[in-house]
Amino acid sequence: MTDNKTIFEKIKNENRNALLEHESKEVLKNIGISIPPSRLVQTESEAIQSANEFGYPVVMKLMSTQVLHKTDVGAVVIGLNSEEEVRSTFVDFMKRFDNVRISGVLIEKMVKSGLELIIGTNIDPTFGPVVLFGVGGVLVEAIKDVVFRMCPTTKEQALIAIDEIKARVLLEGFRGMPRVDKNELADIIVKLSELAWENRDYISEMDINPIISNEDGLFPVDARIIMK
Amino acid sequence: MTPRLEKFFAAKTFCVVGASTTEHKPGNVVAYNFINHFPGKTYLVNPKGGELFGEKLYTSLMEIEDEIDAACVIVPARFAPQTIEQCGMKGITNVIITTGGFSEIGKEGEILQQQINDAMKKYGINVIGPNCLGLYSPALGYDTMFLPITKLKRPKSGPVSIFTQSGAFGAAFIDQLSNLGTGKWVAKFISYGNASDINETDSLEYVGTDPDTKMILIYLEDFKKGREFMEEARKISLKKPIMGIKANRTETGAKAGASHTAALSSNDAIVDDLLGEAGIIRVITWDQLEDCVLAFGTQPLPMGDKVAIITDGGGAGVMASDMVTDCNLKLAELSPTVQKYLDETFPSFYATGNPIDVTGSATAEDYKIALEAAYNDANVDSIVNICLPCIPDLDIDEYIKVTKHFARRKEKPFITALIGGDEADKATAQLLAEDIPVFPSPGRAVRALGMLTDYTKYLKKHGIDPRTIQVEE
Repeated sequence: MTDNKTIFEKIKNENRNALLEHESKEVLKNIGISIPPSRLVQTESEAIQSANEFGYPVVMKLMSTQVLHKTDVGAVVIGLNSEEEVRSTFVDFMKRFDNVRISGVLIEKMVKSGLELIIGTNIDPTFGPVVLFGVGGVLVEAIKDVVFRMCPTTKEQALIAIDEIKARVLLEGFRGMPRVDKNELADIIVKLSELAWENRDYISEMDINPIISNEDGLFPVDARIIMK
Repeated sequence: MTPRLEKFFAAKTFCVVGASTTEHKPGNVVAYNFINHFPGKTYLVNPKGGELFGEKLYTSLMEIEDEIDAACVIVPARFAPQTIEQCGMKGITNVIITTGGFSEIGKEGEILQQQINDAMKKYGINVIGPNCLGLYSPALGYDTMFLPITKLKRPKSGPVSIFTQSGAFGAAFIDQLSNLGTGKWVAKFISYGNASDINETDSLEYVGTDPDTKMILIYLEDFKKGREFMEEARKISLKKPIMGIKANRTETGAKAGASHTAALSSNDAIVDDLLGEAGIIRVITWDQLEDCVLAFGTQPLPMGDKVAIITDGGGAGVMASDMVTDCNLKLAELSPTVQKYLDETFPSFYATGNPIDVTGSATAEDYKIALEAAYNDANVDSIVNICLPCIPDLDIDEYIKVTKHFARRKEKPFITALIGGDEADKATAQLLAEDIPVFPSPGRAVRALGMLTDYTKYLKKHGIDPRTIQVEE
């Protein structure tokens, strides 16, 4: 396990302004945020072996510093249900992205659908690092149902913030949806806010979007860390 | 650590540098204020020498033998740096610079500002301003507001402290408060202008610890020390209500960032959440701020969010009820005994639910019965007393008497709305003359109550009993 400071120094030395998803998730894991089983693989057989180990369905994502908006170019494939599908996706990735430098393929156990939330951080010119929580997913910027707190935030503050979103009723188990574990959610908000505060010289922005809440718990599905 | 502003207000000797013999000039007004009201010793400086208001005009600070605790510098901007230098040499460590013409006017002014900053650092001087009204405290006879009293009336001593980034806002609001009710409102007023040194966070720290300050009003356009301000506010708001305007709401949008979070981070979205989190009641309009003074300054906090509305007009009652919802308040369900009593006492065409509508047939006695019942009902946290005085059988003088009685009980907030023409205006003036909160529409009355209740909710969320907060006497 590489510690976060070492990761950030490495990214800085490579003159990159963003971490790849698997790197971002490693940073989150390092601060005790649990991530669905995932592994960066280089070969077809490693991919299949990992998929079998995690159990199906799985998700495959191409990791490349040259491909940042993965979904836009088809570098994320979800709902893979068999060895055969994993194999063909791997082959397809290698064929379609043969002109980019590939760091590997991230293979992950697919998270069941649920309520999509967002937790993120940013540096405000007036208040310094701030943490955001709200309704996540692809529509996040249109819905704008988010709350901010200064970093680092306390658990009490995070719990109050969670209940300030307009769609708070969604967190209580709306129309048969499972209740959101606010306690766990607050812990993650606090951890991310501490990460942003302690590494404010490295990190400019972070997103965990979505972090999915379903009947099994809370699962960060995508993560992005942008360097200063 | 003692807040730096305390040293300004604690001054026993004060000096007006740039005292002018020309009537109504800033240097003349400030000299007049101190000579006439400041209980300590005031020294006046003007290079031409002579006399002003029967006091010697010293030609230079150096000529004064006494030690000077604080000074107000009212000289043209180009002379300010050398004057600050002289203050430093004289050992004056607390200086208010009211003059404008510094960083707010661009490059030329920035150079002067830098020179002031250098002198300030060299001698360790605390500076308020430049480009500000400075300080005002009626109880201390401390008044650097350079506008003559014929133009800018001074409110008398009271529970409210105000700090403002805009001097013009401050001047007009101070003038307005002098005209509100008895005019007994102001503890400390701080206008810090360009905030070259003392800023919003220093001001908040000071009024937070000042025992004469029972509530805090702010006008800000930006923050010099945003983080510290919010951290300080979080502590103070558990002891004293803080409310105010953070203007410039559309100044900066979010920058398009690489992340969703950056894209959502508009400055005002963050400010709004952080103000709320710190327990600061944010108002948007000027009239809301005045309403805050009237509500917080005269009525206790409610224990909860359940409101009873008493009205003689159906429409006004409905509009008030709508505003109850808009302000996250609730209409109280009257307790069965109160409900039964009202049903038995009033004619059947009065509406005895909530709102209690005593209709156009109402008399002052009807108001008394309805208000008494609602006020004494444990299910009711606060009262909105609406009157359209144009109805035929209402003795307005009796109604005023009834209203005064309940507004003075101060067991729960009691807010009145008087709507109409001449008679409503006259009744309003009579009530306001005794600091009874009255508003010209049902919406404004309920909104004022909403602000009181928001503060109660904040306190309760943080485990504080609203009864521990005493603003009004």
